[in-house]
Amino acid sequence: MVNWNDLWLFALLALMFWAAGAVLSLRGGRQRLASLLTVCGLLVFGTYIALMWHSLERPPLRTMGETRLWYSFFLPLVGLITYIRWRYRWILLFSTMLSTVFICINLLRPEIHDKVMMPALQSPWFAPHVIIYMFAYATTGVAALMSVWQLCRKERDLSAIDNLTRVGLSFITVGMLFGALWAKEAWGTYWSWDPKETWAAATWLCYLIYLHWRRCRPASVRPALLWQILCFLCLQMCWWGINYLPSAQGVSAHTY
Amino acid sequence: MRKTWGMTEGSIACGTLIVAGFVLQLATGPVRWDAMAWPVNLVVLIGLLLGIFAMHLLRKKVRLFHWMTTLQAGIPAMMACAMLTVLMGVTRQAPAGHPATEPIGITNMLSFWPFVLSYLWLTILVGMVCMTRLRASWHNVFFLLNHLGLFLALVAGTLGNADMQRLQMTVQEGKTEWRAVDAKRRVHQLPIAIELHDFFIEEEPRLSFASDVTVYTKRGITVRDTIRVNKPLSVRGWKIYQFSYDEARGKDSDISVFELVRDPWLPLVYLGIFMMLAGALSLFVTRKQTNCKS
Repeated sequence: MVNWNDLWLFALLALMFWAAGAVLSLRGGRQRLASLLTVCGLLVFGTYIALMWHSLERPPLRTMGETRLWYSFFLPLVGLITYIRWRYRWILLFSTMLSTVFICINLLRPEIHDKVMMPALQSPWFAPHVIIYMFAYATTGVAALMSVWQLCRKERDLSAIDNLTRVGLSFITVGMLFGALWAKEAWGTYWSWDPKETWAAATWLCYLIYLHWRRCRPASVRPALLWQILCFLCLQMCWWGINYLPSAQGVSAHTY
Repeated sequence: MRKTWGMTEGSIACGTLIVAGFVLQLATGPVRWDAMAWPVNLVVLIGLLLGIFAMHLLRKKVRLFHWMTTLQAGIPAMMACAMLTVLMGVTRQAPAGHPATEPIGITNMLSFWPFVLSYLWLTILVGMVCMTRLRASWHNVFFLLNHLGLFLALVAGTLGNADMQRLQMTVQEGKTEWRAVDAKRRVHQLPIAIELHDFFIEEEPRLSFASDVTVYTKRGITVRDTIRVNKPLSVRGWKIYQFSYDEARGKDSDISVFELVRDPWLPLVYLGIFMMLAGALSLFVTRKQTNCKS
């Protein structure tokens, strides 16, 4: 049975693949090989998640540590899609570094929980709701990193950030609406404005503002980049910040 | 003088609304959503739609109405809503149905006039921009899925909230019950009754609790089924959820508590939600629009 103690082994192997792909893509050329190496890393890490799922006998999505696993997985995936689609040479390095950070957090602070899941979370909506959100977080995470990068440059190109935001926002929307349908099914209301939902609404609005701003003022780039980073901060508050927010203590149905 | 209004005017409009909301809050107290119950909400809905339609027809004559369909009006409106939502996120909200815990009213944000007016403003703008897109083209279909879907979900969800009944019913094993209490502990007599045959806790395959029941309606329909957590039973517009049990007695509990929910506006909200889901996919398949306004 695979457990948290085996994470380092899978993570090390995956990271070696991802790092090799990142270095190759950074040098330019050999795009196929760089992509292939990244896929191998994804397979290794995906295997670990699948084995964890199997040995926990539930989707590994309940604790912060478990959601970080998905995040570490989706980041290189989004990086790879961006790399194949837009050929940014540095994107794989970015996504690998970010993924490494999250793997390290999990290695240093594993959050180990038992098998039993509270009845309310035993729903077919649960896994898609969280997995879609994790993918959205990874996409917008890459967009935020690229925004920081673009802010440091003189010639700025926002097309990749725009596209990532569109993908990220569509996933955020689907994750949010799945959450609403699930809540209606399980608790009788689609939206109860608990702190997580309030921050989800704020985050959603912020990304909407970004996309509308880009259409309205395409030449106004610097505010857009700064706003993109603000959106991501809002998302962080929604994801884990509220766990530390005094106003949200003890009133959220989303605490885990 | 500039020919069209821009984002500055949009910000001024939102600022004015927030100040006006603040004055209203001081003068009349928080928004009374319970007054929205049927048929008031229907009247408000018709008024809202007629108003949007009238402004749409006059948009070529009245500069304000045309401007309301532009991004320059929409972005500040979204900003105002986002700001107030963040404010809601950083303040500890009073429990649902309870008044604010401070004199201003921000701890009961859902009934705080500036919050309600900002979202109303945004909703009107979304409604108006939808009117300009009611011509058949793929681009408009995607646009309407996102925008009209949001409009529907917001309007139906908000207006229908007062018609939603959430009641709790406690039933003893072997007994039949037709009375339920609301959040304010008022007793309601319902057109359906629940007979509890057995309450049990399942530990395999997963921990869950469930009730074996028969539901009777006034029209003589009876339904025998098992209600579990996450597996509600629908009978004649009512959804019956497994809510609680006698936790002190655990699996020997001889009572079961159900939550009964009736939400007549639900189909409209679902229509909006499914339109938005389809619209989210369209964000994928369509490419980024070239800038049509600047």
